This record gives sequence, structure tokens and C-alpha cells, in this order.
Amino acid sequence: MLHYYDPSIQSYEPSKSGLNPDFDYGTPASVSETLVSISVDGRAITVPEGTSVLRASALAGINIPKLCASDNLEAFGSCRLCAVEIEGRRGYPASCTTPVAEGMEVTTQTGKLAKMRRNIMELYISDHPLDCLTCPANGNCELQDVAGAVGLREVRYGFEGENHLDAEIDDSNPYFSFDPSKCIVCSRCVRACEEVQGTFALTIEGRGFDSKVAASQNDPFMDSECVSCGACVQACPTSTLMEKSVIDAGQPEHSVVTTCAYCGVGCSFKAEMKGDQLIRMVPYKGGEANHGHSCVKGRFAFGYATHDDRIKEPMIRDSINDPWKVVSWDEALAFSAKKLKGIQAKYGRESIGGITSSRCTNEETYLVQKLVRAAFGNNNTDTCARVCHSPTGYGLKTTLGESAGTQTFDSVMKADTIMVIGANPTDAHPVFGSLMRKRLRQGAKLIVIDPRRIDVLNTPHGGEGIHLPLRPGTNVAIVNALAHVIVTEGLEDQNFINSRCDTGAYNIWRTFIAEERNSPEAMEEVTGVSASKVREAARVYAGAGNGAIYYGLGVTEHSQGSTMVMGIANLALATGNIGKEGGGVNPLRGQNNVQGSCDMGSFPHELPGYQHVNDPKVRERFQSVWGVPIDDEPGLRIPNMFDAAIAGTFKAMYVQGEDIAQSDPNTQHVEAALKSLDCLIVQDIFLNETAKYAHVLLPGSTFLEKNGTFTNAERRINRVRKVMEPIAGMEDWQVTMALSNALGYPMNYNHPSEIMDEIASLTPTFTGVDYDKLEQLGSIQWPCNDDNPQGTPTMHEVEFPIGKGRFAVTEYLATEERASRRFPLLLTTGRILSQYNVGAQTRRTNNSDWHEEDVLELHPSDAELRGVSDGDWLGISSRVGHTVLRAKLSTRMLPGVVYTTFHHPGSGANVVTTDNSDWATNCPEYKVTAVQVEKVSQPSDWQRDFVDFDKRQQALLKPAMGQQESRHANTLK
Amino acid sequence: MIDQQVNNLIKMLDQIIANNRHHGDDDKVTDVAADHLHKFWARSMKQQVIECANENPEALSGLSRMTIGKLAGAADSKESLPHPQCDEDR
Ligand code: SF4
Ligand code: SF4
Ligand code: SF4
Ligand code: FES
Repeated sequence: MLHYYDPSIQSYEPSKSGLNPDFDYGTPASVSETLVSISVDGRAITVPEGTSVLRASALAGINIPKLCASDNLEAFGSCRLCAVEIEGRRGYPASCTTPVAEGMEVTTQTGKLAKMRRNIMELYISDHPLDCLTCPANGNCELQDVAGAVGLREVRYGFEGENHLDAEIDDSNPYFSFDPSKCIVCSRCVRACEEVQGTFALTIEGRGFDSKVAASQNDPFMDSECVSCGACVQACPTSTLMEKSVIDAGQPEHSVVTTCAYCGVGCSFKAEMKGDQLIRMVPYKGGEANHGHSCVKGRFAFGYATHDDRIKEPMIRDSINDPWKVVSWDEALAFSAKKLKGIQAKYGRESIGGITSSRCTNEETYLVQKLVRAAFGNNNTDTCARVCHSPTGYGLKTTLGESAGTQTFDSVMKADTIMVIGANPTDAHPVFGSLMRKRLRQGAKLIVIDPRRIDVLNTPHGGEGIHLPLRPGTNVAIVNALAHVIVTEGLEDQNFINSRCDTGAYNIWRTFIAEERNSPEAMEEVTGVSASKVREAARVYAGAGNGAIYYGLGVTEHSQGSTMVMGIANLALATGNIGKEGGGVNPLRGQNNVQGSCDMGSFPHELPGYQHVNDPKVRERFQSVWGVPIDDEPGLRIPNMFDAAIAGTFKAMYVQGEDIAQSDPNTQHVEAALKSLDCLIVQDIFLNETAKYAHVLLPGSTFLEKNGTFTNAERRINRVRKVMEPIAGMEDWQVTMALSNALGYPMNYNHPSEIMDEIASLTPTFTGVDYDKLEQLGSIQWPCNDDNPQGTPTMHEVEFPIGKGRFAVTEYLATEERASRRFPLLLTTGRILSQYNVGAQTRRTNNSDWHEEDVLELHPSDAELRGVSDGDWLGISSRVGHTVLRAKLSTRMLPGVVYTTFHHPGSGANVVTTDNSDWATNCPEYKVTAVQVEKVSQPSDWQRDFVDFDKRQQALLKPAMGQQESRHANTLK
Repeated sequence: MIDQQVNNLIKMLDQIIANNRHHGDDDKVTDVAADHLHKFWARSMKQQVIECANENPEALSGLSRMTIGKLAGAADSKESLPHPQCDEDR
């Protein structure tokens, strides 16, 4: 594995360095390459220059007591417990703030030091309740440990003096409590909030004895700026900041390292358990995507796994107006197989299809597409990436030759300029957002291209960013204008272009982009962004040593999504920002395994590893392993499936873990399509919106209930490990396998590792991947093969998979979805931190305390024009639909642009979004819908129908849920 | 009458052509567009636009007709693949 910016990353790799990710080495690792040798209590140790004496001692196996230090925080030197004696120096320096020096001789244990430490502890304890036996941290408390280590035996000061023992507990946060009576004011929480999370919500207020921790302006945590990431809770050496789940259930007794199933950051966590009960999720320091940090979703929002709404038994029904009937697995699978075969016999081989899930594991996704291609005998497989990052696949493959981001997350720490386009990392990819903020605090420059003023622009201590607030739908115009400046002002990296890029394609592109019509001045009218600002941004990006681009769905979900992705690649190629750390083109993938689901062949035209179905050599390899011929024509994409369903030629669908009824655009069209199916098989953990139209409901398993792998946005394959048994007895891959067997196409795997072995044998970028290696290395970034046996952190370092980088001409074409007299505003959609996508999981946790409903944000000037105030009900109409949301006035958008989220099904955000889509991939144009808004007094017709339909479907489910409960209870007995 | 599904396909095809106009003359543009359909469209979608071009050529732009002509030429030279697994079961 390569060295990145911080050797600690390597050090956290247990197998590599012998360092233990569960151990706290006291201060962060030093990045220096110069080595320094010292002796600690007579033991010699050589460490990088800049390492603290405390860390060096820990590395030598000598543990100096400490309280205010932790190896994810800069040393602070406040508790003085870590004092040592250093030969030739006076006094007792704090070892956490003293860097090593060549030849230094350190003594950590003397009578004097022991007495000093005991005195310090005595002072701490005299203002600390002595209720260790009933304290939730009992058994896992650093204060207790240090008291033991220093040999504290008595507290002479008594507890009668002035103290904080009666301080009031702040219980406002649903997940953790703050009990200031236990606080030792070590400020680790404050520093974690600043240095790790970057929110700066906490301060130490007051001085001396009166000092105490305060959230924002002495607010309850819930009302403060706190975003509930949990970093302070983890940093706290006492039980002051403590998870409520631990307070309720006691300390966990074993743990399993696994991967978060929410977003594409792919944080590693220790699932800490008591028997089969999950007590808490603690971010794992050995995780290379997150290095021990987390966000409110992965850290706390896991309660959905044991929610009463879980589907625990298979169910079937003949029509969506019938009540659900609980049946055995065999019966449900036989029923499904019979229906699917009957439909194929009647309507043809291509009349059925399947949808893989970006929430499920690589192995599960692989099996679903294999089921479709091998057992259904067609290529009608697609995945939710269709509606998010399919243009990334198309655009990056065309220009760079591979459908994936080019960097590690850590690469951002070497970026000099960070350009964020149509992404909102602090909300949608929070742990990466924190890392980005860290780099911004170190002085990297920031450019944001987004209609909204996103939070990363307000990074505390992050400097002034350049914001280009463009009109929705004009991305390509702005990326062309940026490239125009780079080309015409001579800011290109000619060396890189000459040596690494296809000359013919470059020349054509260069001539095109240099045309005056692409200049910032010419485009000003279109984008609404001042030409001088665009010029400034282009100079800052191209002039930086390393320029990194991060983008999200604000790039892809447009009618020119694929063109825009190519435009971004052009920028990086022109400035030589590919193939090196600190640069790159980085799609921030939405869901936990959206990269993986694309890699695993979910798209109708590509077999696993992005290998086209019409390549006979590729098909030959798959056919030889799968034992059946593979159709050489691409299959239907999700929107095509809907159209075909409405036309009556597409009749059945197997949907694993995706809620197409809520997440796809033009809801009424989707509903009509789903209603016209003869057989809809939904495999999910809840009765989601799609399942309300289903005939077969197969219980899914959560990420806690299965083994497998997820691949995050940096191509990192991480292990998912089972921490509890699947609620319905089968992991999702087992269900797909059983369905395949019922259909007569045999699948027999005993463990997901066998599926991965098959994937590796068929996918050139995965040939070196197996579970043993994953165990050994912790994680692997593909490509991993003979050329890169340990994986590939940075792509395209020497050459592109297509040889030379290919510039692409990116002509700007205005979308047809334009503001008009009838629909004068542009609606754009997005997400917020606490909720996740369709919200099926997060809505079933306390995360809803932060976001109870979707609202429509609009600019005060648009509100005034319509007589709208904060909190009013607003009707939102587009040419396809109408819905009603509450108004929230906000200056984060430009006048003329309104914004909402789609986390709650009843909001009907997608009732108004249209089925316009990206020209190359059909990725829907969620980010631009022309709408009108007006004050209304009642919900929309669709919303009323939605409520009725939901009630009816819940009623049809209720008896079955009762039945499943009693059956389930019986099996458990 | 052209149904909604075919209308969508026509719209998609227009969009593909519009986004590839920069490739050069009509011949080149329709080559690129036909190749795009070949690579990314399902068999049934191709068949539907080919049928539409035969039955309702006036519903299509000149470039769309030219693209479909090229697509149809390519399709003629290739037979659809039988699939024993499913064809047997029928
Ligand atoms: S939970 Fe996170 S954001 Fe909130 S105070 Fe703690 S560190 Fe800061
Ligand atoms: S709350 Fe915990 S981490 Fe923060 S100052 Fe108090 S003891 Fe230290
Ligand atoms: S950042 Fe993403 S992967 Fe990490 S904890 Fe949050 S939701 Fe999970
Ligand atoms: S650990 Fe060094 S001063 Fe607190």
C-alpha cells in the first residue's frame, strides 16, 4: 500500500506496521521522513522527527499516563499527567507537547513523577462523583484507568468544598447525554469538534475552576450548531459525553469491524455488541476511508434494524388489492418462479427484468444481475445508479477510460485548490466533508459551483471561497467557460497534454473551446455568473500546484449530465491534474455501494467490470463460467422498463433493496408502470413505497445481518461482517440464489467469499481480490490485479486504460426544461445530513428529530412576490404534477430557484420532477424542473391519494404482520 | 398514431443527435448516433424506432431517419440470439 500524506494511515494498518488501531498512541503521527533516535527508560526507539515523546514512548511499549491527549488530536498539554524527566533539561516537561530530539534520554517513572501524578489525580477526583460502580463508563473509563495507573489511594480534599457535582445533565440530543458533573475539562471534546469534525460547536467557557464545556452560546446540544457526529463522545475520557444506548444497556462485551451502509464514504465501524444486541457503533481508527471519524447516520442511526416494521417472513398475494399472506420461503419462491416463467411464456423472454441495489453488497448485486442474465435470459438489469451516477460511468469511461473516481479521500490533504461542483459534502458525505474542511483550514483554496450557497463555503477558519452561483441547467456552459480561460490564457499543462493525451482529440477540443462563444463573457448571459468571477476561478484552479475536483449529483442529474462529466475530465486533463495525489476527478457517490453496484455489472449494457455485452470475447468468458448463452443486446434501463410496462410489453420485475416508487422521477408515471405489472417481487427490509405495488414480498437483511463487501467512492472494497443473524433466516444473496434455483438455474455458493472468487475470475480489475487479502490488508482499492497486487490508490499514474486521455468536445445545449411564464421558478432537489435518501431507514430512527418533513426553500424575494411567509403551505406545480410542501425562506439560493429534499414519501417531491433525462444515459434531470408555487390551504390530490393508498396498503399488511410476529416468536422459542 | 413509448424514443434520439452534432457532417453525426443506439439501446427499443421509421417516417427528422437507417442495416446483418434456458421452457 502506498504512503499518503500521513504515515499514521499506514501505521493503522495492523498487518503492516504492528500498530494497533484500538490503541491510543497519545498524539498524531508525524509526517517527517527524517528519523530521530531517543531512549525511554533505557529502551531505544527511532521515530520520525516531530513525534512527541509521549507517542515515541507508546511506540516503545511504555505507556505514560495521560488524560488530555489522544492520537487523533493535536497535543494540548493541559492535564500535566504525562510529565516526564529528560536528561539535561530542567523540570518536568509534558511528554505530549515535547517533540523528540536526537539522543534524548527520557525517564517516565520516578518517585517524584509518581507523586506529582497522584496529586493531579487527587485534584481531579475531588471534583468528580465517586459513583464508579453505577457509572455507565464503568469498565471503560480512562479516568478510572489513570487513577489505577498512578496508584491513587486517597482524596484528601474531601468533597465538601466548592464543586460541580450538582451540574445539570443535558439530555436534549436523542443519542448521547452530557453530564457536566463528570467533566474534567480536558477539552478533548472541544478539540475533536474543531479538529476532527470541523464544526466548532463547543467551547470551554469561563476560567480556572469555573471553566466548563459549552455548546454554542451555552445552548442545549440539540439547539446548538452540533451536528451529532459523535466525535466528542468518542473523545471524552469520562462518562460526561456518553451514548444513551450504553447508559441504557451497559458496556458492550464484544465487537465486530464492519462498514457503514449509508453513504459512499464507506466508513469503517466497530459494531459493539452485547450478545446479539447492537449497543453502539464506534468509528474504527483502522478504517482507511474515515480514520476513526463518523457522522450522525452511521454512528447513531442503526435502530431501524430492529424496528417493528421489519418484514420477517415471506409474503405473497395475487393482486395489490388483496391482503398479504404469510408463507414459507419455499412457497414464496415457487410462487415467484411460476409467475416469472408464466409471464415469459406468454409475453416473451424480454418481458421481465430485475433491479439491483446500491444498498446491498457487491456479491448480492453480482448475483441479481447474474440471475437476470443467466436465469431470465435477457439483459434487463439496472440499478439506482441510473438515477444518480450513470453519467459518471459514461463520461469518465469516454475520457479517462475507467468509470470511477481517480483518488483516495486522503488525497484531498494534498490539494491546493478544491473545486466542488454540484455536491454538498458536509451534508451528503459528511466524513469526507470534515476532511475537506481540515484541508481548507490548512489554507487550500475553495471554488464552489452550485446554485446554492452550500455549507462548505462557511467553513470556520477556512478562508474565503469563490462561489459561482449558476442557474440550474447551465453546468456545461460554465465548465466550458472555465476551460476557455485555461486555454486562452495559456494555463494549460502542455507537458502533460503532449505526453499523456491523444493529440487529435486534444486539437479538436482546443479549437472548439477557444471559440469566443465559450468565453465567460459570452456565457455570462446563460449562467448568470459574472465573467470576472469565472476567470478568477479558472486561474485559481489552473494555477494551483494540485487542483482537485469533487462533484455530485448536481453534475450528473441533468439533460447534459454525461457532457458535464466529460467537461470536468477535460479540465483535469488540460491542467495535468490526473495521476497524482492532490488532484483528480472525484465523483462523490451517493449510496454506500453505488460504485460497487456499477462495478458488478448492474447496467443493462455491461457485464461486471464494465465489459460490454456485445463483445463476443467477454461473453465467451462469462458463458464458460455461467454455462448459458448471454444475450448480446443491451437490456432495458429503468425508465425504459417503466415505458414498456405502461405499453404492456414488460410484465414482471424483481427489485432488490431499492424504492423506485419514491426515488424515481415523475411519480405518477412510475406508479402507473408498477400498477401495470403482473408480478412485482420486492425484496426489502420494510414495506417501502414500491412494495405497496408488489405481489411478492421477500424479507431483506440489513448490513448487520450479512457478510459481503461494499465499494466506496474511492473504489475501496471494504468488508461487511455479520454481527447478528438475518431476521428472516436468509441473507439477501441467499434469497437471490434460492430464487434462481427455483427458476431452474442452479446457484450454489456457501459463502459470499465464493461469489467474490467468481467475480475475480471474470473481472480484469478484480483478479487480485479475495477475502483473505481483504482480511490481511483491511481494504483494497481496485484495480487489484497482477499489475497492482495491493490495489490502486491513485488511478492513471502512468497511462490510461484507453492508452491516452481523450479530450471530448462538450457543446452546451440548453435543457428543454426552462422557466416560462407559467412555470417561472426552477426547482432543484437535494438531501440533508440527518436523513438518508428515501429515508426508509433514517425515518425509523431518532434522526427524524432533525428533519421531520421536507420543506420548500425559497428566496425571500420570490416569497414576497407571492405573499408567502415562513411555514405557509405552498402548492408546487410543474408540467407533470402538483404537490404541497411547507415554505422555508432562505437566502442560500438565488432568486428564481427553489429547493427541496425527497426524504419523506408523502411530500411527493418527485411528483413534480419530470422524466427529462441525460441524453446518453437517461439519468433523470432531477436538478431542473420549471415550477410555479402559490399559497394553498390543503394537500394536493396526489398527496390525498397517497395517504389513502398508504392506509389501504398498511391495512392489507396488518394481519400478515400480526401473523408473522406470532410465527416468528414460535420459531425463536 | 405513435404511442407514448415510441414518442419518448424519438425524443431520446433527437437528444442524442443534438448532443453529437459537433462530430461533423451528417454522415459522421449519424454514425455516432447509430453507434450509440447500438451500444446502449435494448433490442425492443431499436425495433420500435426502426418500425416507426418504416411506418411513420414523417414523424422523424432527417437525421433521425438516417441514424435509424444505419441502425437497421447493422441489425439486418445480425440475428437475435436464442436462449436455450428460457426458450426451452416455453
Ligand atoms: S457531536 Fe460532533 S458536532 Fe456535536 S459537539 Fe460533538 S463533535 Fe461537535
Ligand atoms: S466533556 Fe469529556 S472530553 Fe469534554 S472536557 Fe469534559 S471530560 Fe473532557
Ligand atoms: S459519512 Fe457516510 S459512511 Fe460515514 S458514517 Fe456517515 S453515512 Fe456512514
Ligand atoms: S496528556 Fe499531556 S498534558 Fe495531558
